[in-house]
Amino acid sequence: MANVSIRIAGANGDGVESTGALLGKIAALSGMEVFGNRGYQSVIRGGHVWYQIRIGDEKLYSAGDSIDVLVALNQDSIVNQKSHLSDKAIVIYDSAKCNVTELEGRSYKLVGIPFLEIVLAAGGDSIMRNMVSIGAVLKVVGIDISLFDAVINKMFLRKGIDVVNKNIKVATDGYSYKGVENVYSIKGDGKPRYLLDGNTAVSLGAYAAGCKYYAAYPMTPASGILQWFAAHADRGVLYKQTEDEIAAINSAIGASSAGVRAMCGSSGGGFALMVEALGLAGMLETPLVVVESQRTGPSTGLPSKTEQGDLLFVMHASQGEFPRIVVAPRSMEECFSLTADAFNLADRYQCPVIILVDAFISERVESVVNFDVDSIRIDRGKMADASATSGRFKRYELTNDGISPRSVPGMKGFSFVAPSYEHNEYGELVSDVLSGLDAHVEMRKKMQEKRMRKMDTMLKQEKVFAPNIENENAKHFLVAFGSTTSVAREAMAALNRKGLDFGLISFSYILPLDSDRTKRMLSGKHLIDVECNYTAQLAKVIRMEMGVEIKDTILRYDGENITCGEIVDKAAKIAGSQ
Amino acid sequence: MVENYSSGIRPDFCPGCGNFGIFAALTKAFTDLKLDKDNTMVVAGIGCSSTMVQAFSCYGIHSLHGRLLPVAMGAKLANNDLTVLGIGGDGDGYGIGSAHLIHVARRNIDMTYVISDNQTYGLTTGQTSPTGLIGYKTKSTPFGDIENPLNPIALAISAGATYVARGFSGDPAHLAELIKRGISHKGFALIDVYSPCVTFNYLNTYDWFKNGVYKLEGTGYDPKDKHAALVKALEPEESDYKRLPIGVFYEEERPTYESMDITLKKGPLIKQPMPTKEQIASFLNENR
Repeated sequence: MANVSIRIAGANGDGVESTGALLGKIAALSGMEVFGNRGYQSVIRGGHVWYQIRIGDEKLYSAGDSIDVLVALNQDSIVNQKSHLSDKAIVIYDSAKCNVTELEGRSYKLVGIPFLEIVLAAGGDSIMRNMVSIGAVLKVVGIDISLFDAVINKMFLRKGIDVVNKNIKVATDGYSYKGVENVYSIKGDGKPRYLLDGNTAVSLGAYAAGCKYYAAYPMTPASGILQWFAAHADRGVLYKQTEDEIAAINSAIGASSAGVRAMCGSSGGGFALMVEALGLAGMLETPLVVVESQRTGPSTGLPSKTEQGDLLFVMHASQGEFPRIVVAPRSMEECFSLTADAFNLADRYQCPVIILVDAFISERVESVVNFDVDSIRIDRGKMADASATSGRFKRYELTNDGISPRSVPGMKGFSFVAPSYEHNEYGELVSDVLSGLDAHVEMRKKMQEKRMRKMDTMLKQEKVFAPNIENENAKHFLVAFGSTTSVAREAMAALNRKGLDFGLISFSYILPLDSDRTKRMLSGKHLIDVECNYTAQLAKVIRMEMGVEIKDTILRYDGENITCGEIVDKAAKIAGSQ
Repeated sequence: MVENYSSGIRPDFCPGCGNFGIFAALTKAFTDLKLDKDNTMVVAGIGCSSTMVQAFSCYGIHSLHGRLLPVAMGAKLANNDLTVLGIGGDGDGYGIGSAHLIHVARRNIDMTYVISDNQTYGLTTGQTSPTGLIGYKTKSTPFGDIENPLNPIALAISAGATYVARGFSGDPAHLAELIKRGISHKGFALIDVYSPCVTFNYLNTYDWFKNGVYKLEGTGYDPKDKHAALVKALEPEESDYKRLPIGVFYEEERPTYESMDITLKKGPLIKQPMPTKEQIASFLNENR
C-alpha cells in the first residue's frame, strides 16, 4: 500500500483550502483514494491554516500522522509545521517568503520555488501562485500533469480559455521546475471517485431521502450543511435561516407536522437551545431529523476543533422520557446512507432522530467510489387510512406497537390538535382541569407506555441497533463510535502488522441498542475504548446499558482528532501489560 | 352547509374571561370566511388563551410556550396552501417569544397572529407581563411594576408586519372583522387584543378598557400611512391610557416570503416530488 500525506500551510486568505481541495480532486478523479483534513482558527483573515491531503492506492482512514510533503506558503508554515515533518519529508516552499535555515542539515529535501515570479513571468495573476505549488506536488507524488489540465479545463473554462491556459502554464512550470523530482509512485485504478466532506454527504443523504426543509442558524462546524441547502434552493430543497436555533427546530417541527420531511442542525451550543423542542417532537410524535456536529466544548469552546463530548448530552437531552434514535456515521458513505435512513426511522417511529457528527467528520474529505443510491427507499411510516374514516380521528391511538397512524393537513376528516401537554388518544389534554383524576392518571400512564413501546418495536423490527465487529477472533479490541472509527481501523491494521492481535468494535447506531446482541459481542473480550472526550462517554453507555466495564481507555480532548500513531502506541502498551 | 369549527371541547377560561370574546370572534371569522378546516392550521403557544386551540376542529398544534410562530412558519413554508393562524398570549408572544415575533414579521410570512393581551401571566396564577403597566401590582410585583410596558403595535409596525390591528375582547363583532381582514390579508397580520383578566388583573378591567377604547374606523384615520401609524401606536401611553384606539393601525401590500422564496416558485413543498435516482446522481456528480 503506497500513500503520501501532503500538507499545504499558509495564512487564511492564501487559498490553502482551495489548493488542497484541487489536489484532492485531481487525485480522486484519477482513481486514487484521498483523505483530507483541515486545520483552521476562528478568524477570517490571517492566522495559520493548513490542509492535509493524503493520497493512496488503497482505502484511507485518516489524513496521516505526519507530513511527507509540506507546501509552505509563508514563514509561519515552516515554524509551525516542522514538528510534524516525517524524516524524509520534502519541503516545497515559497523562496520569496520563507527562510529554511532551521531545516537545513537534516534528512529533509528542501525545494525553494519563487511562486510569484513564475506566475508573473507567465503573464498570470498573483492568485495563480498556488497552481505552481500544485504542479510541483504532482511531480513529487507521480501524478501526470495532464490530469491537472483536464480538471482545470472543467473548472475554469467558463472564465475563458486564456485563464485556463495560464493556469496550465504556471502549473507546468512548477511541475518541471529544477530540483522538483518524482519520489512517489501511486497508481490510481482509473475509476473516478467522488470527493466530499461529511457535511456535503449528510446533505446529499437528506436530499436523497426526500428532505424538503432544512432550518438552521449558522454555527461551525455544521454550517456546511446550510450552505449546501442554500446553494441548492432552486432545486427543490428549502433552506430557512432562522433567528436562532430555537426557531430552527420549531420550524422544522411545523414543517414536518404539515407533511414534509424536515431537518434542522447545529453544533452543540445550538443543539442546547433546541433541547426543549426536541421534547416537543417527542411528545407530538412528529418525525424529525436533527444533525449535531460536535466541536470542542463546553460553551463556545474551540469553534473550529473537534470533540465527541456530546454523546451523553444528545442521548439524554430534554426533560422527561420519550423515544429517540441516535446515529453516528463512521464514514462518508454512512454520512449519506445513515442520514437517508434517519428519515425513514423518524417517519416509522414518529420520533426525533439525531445524527451525531463532529468537526472531524463534518469537515474532512474522503474519496468515495460509489454511494448506494439504489437501496434508498422512502418509507413514510404508518399514515391514517383515508378510505376508512369512522368517527373522530384518534391521532394518538393506543396501539400494540406504540405507533399510531398519523395524518397531515389536507387529509379530510383527520384533523386533530397535537399538544405538547399530555393527552388522550384524540389529542385532548389530560393536564388541565382533569389532571389527577383517576381516569386521567390512567391515561397518562397508558400514553407514556404507548410512546415508550416504540423503542421495543424498533428494536424488534430493525436489525441495525448493534455495533459492528471486525477481526472477531482477535485478542484485543479497540472500541469506537462515529468519526473516530476510521482512525481506529487504521490503527488496528498497524497493530496487527506489529504482530499484535487486534480487532475493532464500532458503533454507528448508538441509541437504542439491542443489549443482548451488543453484550454478547462485548463480553469476555479485552476492550480498549477510543474516544475524543475526557470522560469516556461511550464506555459509560456500554457499562450502563450492557453492564460491561471497559477499563482501558485512549482519550483525546485537546481539540485535535485522534491519530493512528497515538492509538497504536497506547494500545500496544496496554496490550503488552495484559 | 355551515362548517362546524368546534371540536366539542369548551375552553376552560374563568367566568368572564376576555378570552371568551376572542374565541367567539375567531369562530365568527372562520364561519364568515368559510375556512376549509382540513386546510387550516391553528398553532398555539402555552398560556390561558393558547388553550382555545383545543376548542377548534381544524388541524392544530398546541406547541411550546413562546414558540408558536416558528412552528407556524414551518407549517406555512411546508404547505403554503394552508391557512395558518397563531393564537397566544402576551407573555408568550411579547415575552419569551419576542425574538420570533420580530423576525416572522420582517419576513412577512402569510399568517395571522391573534394575541390575547391581558398584561398578565394567568396560567401561572398572576404575575406581571411585558405589557403590564408601571405600578401594576401582582404576585411578582407586590410593590408595583417598574418596567416600561412594551408597545406591541409600534413594535410590530417597525419590525415589518404588513397588517397591524388591535381589538377589544369586549367587542367580539368588531374583533371578528379585524380577524377576517387579517386572514384575507396577504402577509403577516398581527392582531393585539385588549383582553381583561378578571381573576388577576384589577388594574386593566373591562371598565378601564371601556373608558378608553374608541374605533379608528370613521375617524378619517388612514392605515396606509406608516408614519401616522407609528404616531397613533403611541397614543395610549401619551394619553396616559385614557385614549385606546382599536381597529387597523397599519396595512401595506408587500410580497410575502413564500411568494419570493426560490424553492416555492415550483409550488408548495408538500406537492413537490421526491427526487428521482437521476436527480440524486446528478447532485452526487457535483462532487466528482
